[in-house]
Amino acid sequence: MPKCTINGKEVEVKAGSTIIEAMYQEKESIAHYCYHPGLSVAGVCRLCMVEIEGNPRVQIACNTVVTEGMKVNNTSAKVKDAVKWGLDFHLINHPLDCPICDQAGECGLQDQYMEFGKYDPEMAERKQKKHKVVDLGPTVVLDSERCILCSRCVRFTDEVSKTHELGLFNRGDRTEIGTVEGKQLDNKYSLNTVDICPVGALTSKDFRFRQRVWYLKDAETICPGCSTGCSTKVYFNKEGMFRVKPVYNESVNGHWMCDEGRATYKFINREHRLLKAKKGKSGQWSEVAPGAAAKELSGILKGTNADSLGLVLTAQYSVEEYEAIVSTFVNTFKSKKVFFWVNNKESFESFDGLLLRGDKNPNTKGLLKILDKYGLTATWGDLKSGIEKGELKTLVVAGPENQAVFPDLGEKITELSKVPKLIWLQAGKNEQLEALTGDVTLIPLKTYVEKDGTFVNHQGLEQKFKRVTTVVSEALTLDQAAQLMSGQEIKITTADTFIESNRRPDEVMLEHRKKNEFVFKRGTL
Amino acid sequence: METKLLTEFYHLEEFKGLEGYKKNGGYAELAKALKMQPQQIIDEVKASGLRGRGGAGFPTGTKWSFLPKNNEPRYLLCNADEGEPGTFKDRLMMERAPHQLIEGMIISAFAIGSKKSYIYVRGEYHYPISVLRQAVKEAYDAGFLGKNILGSGFDHDMDVYSGAGAYICGEETGMISSLEGLKGQPKLKPPFPAVQGYLRKPTIVNNVETLAAVKYIIRDGAQAYRKHGTEKSPGTKLFSLSGNVMKPGNYEVPLGYPLIDLINKEGGGMKAGRKLKAVIPGGSSAPVLTAAEVEKANLDYECLGGMGTMLGSGAVIVIDDSQCMVDMLGVLTHFYHHESCGQCTPCREGTGWLNKILHSILEGKGRLQDIELLEKVADNMKGKTICALSDAAALPVLSFVSKFREEFEFYVREGRSKVKGTTYAEMHH
Amino acid sequence: MSVVQNNSEKNKWYLVGILGGMGITMRHLLKNLFNKKQMETLNYPEEKYEYSPRFKGNHVLTVKKDGALRCTACMLCATNCPAECIKITAAEHSDPRVEKYPISYEIDILRCVFCGFCEEACPVDAIRMGPEWQTPGVNGTNFIYDINKLAYRPNLKGGIQTHVDDEERHKSGI
Repeated sequence: MPKCTINGKEVEVKAGSTIIEAMYQEKESIAHYCYHPGLSVAGVCRLCMVEIEGNPRVQIACNTVVTEGMKVNNTSAKVKDAVKWGLDFHLINHPLDCPICDQAGECGLQDQYMEFGKYDPEMAERKQKKHKVVDLGPTVVLDSERCILCSRCVRFTDEVSKTHELGLFNRGDRTEIGTVEGKQLDNKYSLNTVDICPVGALTSKDFRFRQRVWYLKDAETICPGCSTGCSTKVYFNKEGMFRVKPVYNESVNGHWMCDEGRATYKFINREHRLLKAKKGKSGQWSEVAPGAAAKELSGILKGTNADSLGLVLTAQYSVEEYEAIVSTFVNTFKSKKVFFWVNNKESFESFDGLLLRGDKNPNTKGLLKILDKYGLTATWGDLKSGIEKGELKTLVVAGPENQAVFPDLGEKITELSKVPKLIWLQAGKNEQLEALTGDVTLIPLKTYVEKDGTFVNHQGLEQKFKRVTTVVSEALTLDQAAQLMSGQEIKITTADTFIESNRRPDEVMLEHRKKNEFVFKRGTL
Repeated sequence: METKLLTEFYHLEEFKGLEGYKKNGGYAELAKALKMQPQQIIDEVKASGLRGRGGAGFPTGTKWSFLPKNNEPRYLLCNADEGEPGTFKDRLMMERAPHQLIEGMIISAFAIGSKKSYIYVRGEYHYPISVLRQAVKEAYDAGFLGKNILGSGFDHDMDVYSGAGAYICGEETGMISSLEGLKGQPKLKPPFPAVQGYLRKPTIVNNVETLAAVKYIIRDGAQAYRKHGTEKSPGTKLFSLSGNVMKPGNYEVPLGYPLIDLINKEGGGMKAGRKLKAVIPGGSSAPVLTAAEVEKANLDYECLGGMGTMLGSGAVIVIDDSQCMVDMLGVLTHFYHHESCGQCTPCREGTGWLNKILHSILEGKGRLQDIELLEKVADNMKGKTICALSDAAALPVLSFVSKFREEFEFYVREGRSKVKGTTYAEMHH
Repeated sequence: MSVVQNNSEKNKWYLVGILGGMGITMRHLLKNLFNKKQMETLNYPEEKYEYSPRFKGNHVLTVKKDGALRCTACMLCATNCPAECIKITAAEHSDPRVEKYPISYEIDILRCVFCGFCEEACPVDAIRMGPEWQTPGVNGTNFIYDINKLAYRPNLKGGIQTHVDDEERHKSGI
């Protein structure tokens, strides 16, 4: 454990760590572009300059290992001057088209120029012209003029995704990022390159031009896309959810997440949601408030014979919700017929070596734990035979939240709709469900960003997540639905009725300043 | 006076072939060296004080001793990517005496325990490559390369590799990247090549002239070699004399030789009616010397280093009073802009910026503050990048502008050259 | 509000004050009758007042040489707007040199306070405050101005050309 002095502060760091890591550890501000903690050191942006006592030249912090007794500072005039010029070198050929650049507001060049810049540009020559709006692949667009050639994306495809699609072509100030001939940037992790791009050179086709980032709020949550359970941040505003980005979590996902997980915001948005409860009988539908619909069911369900009542669960809900609904069934309705709906069974155990898992549910382990706790052992075969024999008359189904990962959804709806009374709880709309002609009740549920809860990931790691916002305020959570169905009252708090997020500690509280909050308080790279 | 140590037999056409080379003492030192202990050779080279002839002047023996003492495979690379404008000594050596280089390399490889070596030749050197390939083949056939060389039990393989003509591949780590099949970009140091180089294995990179000189250190012994040259810069060196002199060419003189003698005696002086104006003593990246400074300059690492310039690769470019310094600098900045690899920002953007400023001055659009800006930009490129190309681009700018400022100011004010009296378009119609 | 009663002696001589006031009115009446040109009022709507060119009236979206909107949908005006009356929807343009453009640009003119911040925020001279100030309407009039109204209303005669031209900027190397 070598000790060193950073800007006058005694610091103890892990053996073998570099100066920039020590700076990170001490939360000292240091300009840098090419360094990324999840990638190898390139040392090309030449911005993380530090002065080491006894060395006449300024050094880069990202490739200098801390040695015992080293005295480092990055506040001397020499270092500041070097960084100022370094930033100016970055900017002389940068098009400065911030108005149409999607990165504006969370751009490394903007942020770091504000903090370390020269504020006195001297470039009076023509700028270098390069390719603009280059289609790199199905997910990413490149603007070479904005690129500062930090090579993070190239190193990402070489080191993390190991797909080697990107490369640096040409030389000098004509250098451009590009894809290797005949290849496209098309891998399951391609959008990480957009995240790590410190400028607006790489933009995501999905998010491009849809919002300016300063109109978005963010909040941390867990990705429900598969059983890995990556830590993520969702970005949203009144108009809905717009994107998902990974958050560093050493024990789960590191710095990255997959492209599939980034699409999990889509089913949250209002246009894909079931807004009202629907009651259908022989093709005639009527809309009711979800709470009222659930309450009405309590009488029917209580009066049903326990043997003819079943519950089908998908592994898409939180542990708390399973606890509530299973205990309602076992204790109140005395039914032991709780079935686990396993989607894509064949690829359940598969794993791509980085993050993606075949089990596309966030909480399979959690559900199995609850089923185990109540000693429930009913199989899908029991359900099938129950329906065929006509023993099962009423079926409550907690359907999939993320319908895209349930390839068997249509098939299962047909299968389950054979029961005389079907109660289907689900967040999203589904045409097939709404076309059913039997006795069907559809109750809208809330999605994972609209509730507190716990997911247990594939390693058995319990991860808590907090409510981020409310999209469909009338929708119920599964535990609220369980309470209402068992005849209890639930309390609707004000928190359920208006849009609010987990508040950041430094959030601006004045209403009229809120809109500008992200201009002032956006995080570092 | 020329001291012909390496170039003694260069006038003989037969010296190029194996037979002619052997007749004139060739491969005798290889047999001698193979009977010595490797450490003995390293000590001998160390004692001779031989310094790298490629440009940096790093002591060769010291470099060799940086190799880790283990059994990892290690590589010897011969840097024959002679890219420095003004330098053409390696070409002569490869064309006239390929076996001299090969013999030097085998001895060096034996000393450092390398079983594989590469000669990385500049892409444009088609003829030297063909000569070298032929010579390597001859050496294989004669048993100087391959398994069990001369019955010593030492195996060694050698390959000639042709570059693609990038200046940056003359930088040792850039050359290693290129040899590995990657884009020719210098690698971040540390780790240094002697620890992790080609294919992440310990690698020694030496210049053609350095490796050839090893043969003569073994032949004469370190003490005899030290008799040439100065105390701190021993030995002889080839200088590529070019520019406005009567007899440009390669001259082998002992280090410490007066620069003015090289120009006037070996080079035959200036053209009639012309006066010496400036000399670039060590290839285009070395800061320029004025005529007054040339009088005092000796061709050794210390003296030139003390004068703020460097011996570099030994390319002496003589400039007489008919040359426009602004125009010359324009050529240099264009070269460095073209050759920057584009990895480090200060160099990638700075070389382009320098070139653009200089060309706007040349086209008559310059502003007086541009001269100061040139200095500022060059100053901030210096010492800020992975390799020395940024310095190489910045140093000439700094020295040209500070030593010939009035020419630059005249050009900016008048829009034409002070010396030639013409505009850029007229100069390069 | 409280009423202050003033019952002093002086107040009994009110008629003098009234007659004085009538005198002023009479003077102006006669002046306007005999010297119509210096009259301070206008016969609106037949006559209209000429405001200074810097008057901040109704918004105009400028157009490029080809007649397309200059606006790049950067949303700086919307961000800067204190009344939050601007709503822009951006989209990707098929021409890569344009890249981003607004498919909808709406100003809720009833919320607008005509502060001119949008004009100041605009980096490309895409929005200006024009000289028109009459925006009357009867019930049912659409006071949410869209692109058609903002850029191509009839009295703009095909659109106002912007000062900022991309082609020229590219040529000069910016």
